[in-house]
Amino acid sequence: MAIKKNVYVVTRRQAIRLSAGALGFAAFSRVFPAYGADAISSAKITAAGETVSGSKYKKKGPYRIGFSNGFSGNTWRTEMLHSMKQEASQHQDLADLIIVDGQGDISKQVNDVENLISQNVDAILCIANSSSAVAPVLRDVTKQGVVTIPFNLPVEGEAWTAYIGTDPEKKGFTLGKWLRQASGDSGKIVALGGLPGNSYTASAWAGAQKAFEGGQIQVLAFRDAYWEEDRAKVVMADLIAAYPQIDGVWCDGSQDAAGAMKALLAAKRPLVPVTGDDYNGLLKLYQEQSGNYPKFKIGLLSEPTWEGVVALRTTLKLLNGEDVPKRQIIEPRLITSENYKDYIRPGLPDGVFVDTDLSDDELKTLFKS
Amino acid sequence: MSSPDRFSHALRFLHHLGAVWIAVILLYVVSGLISPGMFQVSQALNILQIAAFLGIVAIGQTLALLVGGIDLSVAGVVTMSNIVVTSLMVGRSETMVPALLISLLLAAAVGFINGSLITLARVTPLVATLGTNSILFGAALVYTGGAPHGSISPGFAVFGQGHLLGLPVSTICWLTIGVAMAWVTRQTTFGRRLYAVGANPAAARLMGIPVSAILISTYVLSSVMACLGGLLLTSYIGSPSLGIGDQFLLTSVAAVVVGGTALSGGLGSVLGTIGGAIFITELNSFTNIVRVSTGTQFVLQGAVIALSVLIYHLVGSKRISS
Repeated sequence: MAIKKNVYVVTRRQAIRLSAGALGFAAFSRVFPAYGADAISSAKITAAGETVSGSKYKKKGPYRIGFSNGFSGNTWRTEMLHSMKQEASQHQDLADLIIVDGQGDISKQVNDVENLISQNVDAILCIANSSSAVAPVLRDVTKQGVVTIPFNLPVEGEAWTAYIGTDPEKKGFTLGKWLRQASGDSGKIVALGGLPGNSYTASAWAGAQKAFEGGQIQVLAFRDAYWEEDRAKVVMADLIAAYPQIDGVWCDGSQDAAGAMKALLAAKRPLVPVTGDDYNGLLKLYQEQSGNYPKFKIGLLSEPTWEGVVALRTTLKLLNGEDVPKRQIIEPRLITSENYKDYIRPGLPDGVFVDTDLSDDELKTLFKS
Repeated sequence: MSSPDRFSHALRFLHHLGAVWIAVILLYVVSGLISPGMFQVSQALNILQIAAFLGIVAIGQTLALLVGGIDLSVAGVVTMSNIVVTSLMVGRSETMVPALLISLLLAAAVGFINGSLITLARVTPLVATLGTNSILFGAALVYTGGAPHGSISPGFAVFGQGHLLGLPVSTICWLTIGVAMAWVTRQTTFGRRLYAVGANPAAARLMGIPVSAILISTYVLSSVMACLGGLLLTSYIGSPSLGIGDQFLLTSVAAVVVGGTALSGGLGSVLGTIGGAIFITELNSFTNIVRVSTGTQFVLQGAVIALSVLIYHLVGSKRISS
């Protein structure tokens, strides 16, 4: 199968907001090829895989779109949902955006998708709780001619219409490569992941290990820290006791990274290079502590909270009869000690994920701060 | 003395001393031999500091189990206290005391609702408290809109992060509360009634014990303990998190059971639970240090809990037969 690729970059702060709804959408389509990937910030988006023909899905609006959200208990999901709802309100051809919450339950999510079908939706967006569990029901729905768009976390196979998300293995590799360089290619490091058994961490860690191959990096331990600051601090405190020398910390999320750095501070140990994502709490900690610890450096790759916006736009493109790429892979820009000031939101809570299309005022309202 | 008699005596001795304390020492020695880092004073203090959070929550859970119930809302109460105090303190000093009082009052209200559901509406403790737990999580989501904000008052950090005379302040708080609750359960009328209600509620009622009042007070105390544990953990980390309480849902029960309290009620002690909390934290710490996967960590914890129940069942039946 031929693979078409279409890559482009838009400068951050020049984020494209399709505020004019369908008009803006049409304008956007003229700028980029019909099958082009979407874009909203400084992230590079690679369109890969076959081109999905929109003619097969073309329908007259207004549309009813369902979104099966795996769960909604963290700030990333909250920002993502807010952006998505804002985007939905700007499309006059979108009559309903029905959002259902899987509450972290695999079987409930399958049931949620079935309920959406019974409500005669034209398309289903989905962040899967399990990459395999939701695959059969999406396959059945896709066969019925409904547009199915998994995003953020991949769904097994290809029996869905199109996918939008980052590539965790590639992200893990990039972070591993950065850490290898930042710790002088000879350091002793520890690694902290997310929830036990989650596929995102598994892929990201596999990528990091590839980046360490052939070098002098010594991995002392890998532990799950649940993407929670308190858990990461507890785990890191144990690792500090076990290992007198820790030269770097690899994390796939910055709540883990912030917890790990706080554990080093509590143990009166110097802060070291650390990786993670775009969690504001770590950026603020870096700003506060980098002057005290010259070896403290950050290498971060975001998981953009505007993925839902891209997913919604892709869905509407298909329903309008436009072609889209089978996969749109988001490749965020590396946030480091050199450019972190472009990203940090000093006046906003730690919980904010900064690679967002929401303004500071919108975030303040959202976080009631 | 024959072998079975010797075994029986050994079991009785273990039971008298509190088998969990022997397990705590054994695990510490074994883990230290495998990973010398465990023998460092700083690591021992670290374990005691971390154990305080689970330890206080588990004291409340002990009371619930002693009356023959269970409190699965402790996870929700921990999350609630974290969200409430950080959102009310917002990093300012003058808001500290009101935030703490509001948090404790809310926890007491949750306990009162749990107790009332169990005694007045006759809902089983497991269902009632699991339901409350779910409501609390939902309420935290509604209250924060899924985007929690705020941070602790600067002075509050000392409880979770500070040291006094070389000991973590959180540990001192925990042991003080633990000793006080051990005294309450063993030396006061309320404590004796608690055991009586747990052993046989019908007989307790016939003896004139106000069973409903005892049950409601117990669930109020359990919630307040969960809140105190949550407050210490919040002080340790300094920021809000919607998932902060999840880890206590089952580990609080595990610490109590490992500490020798019977799931059937009327048997057990707060001092045993203190040992149980140290044991669970020690086990976590040890499995964090040695290179075992999270899967193995879960298997180990599960096996230890099952083994504890088995040993206590064995000790219990031996005691009855002798």
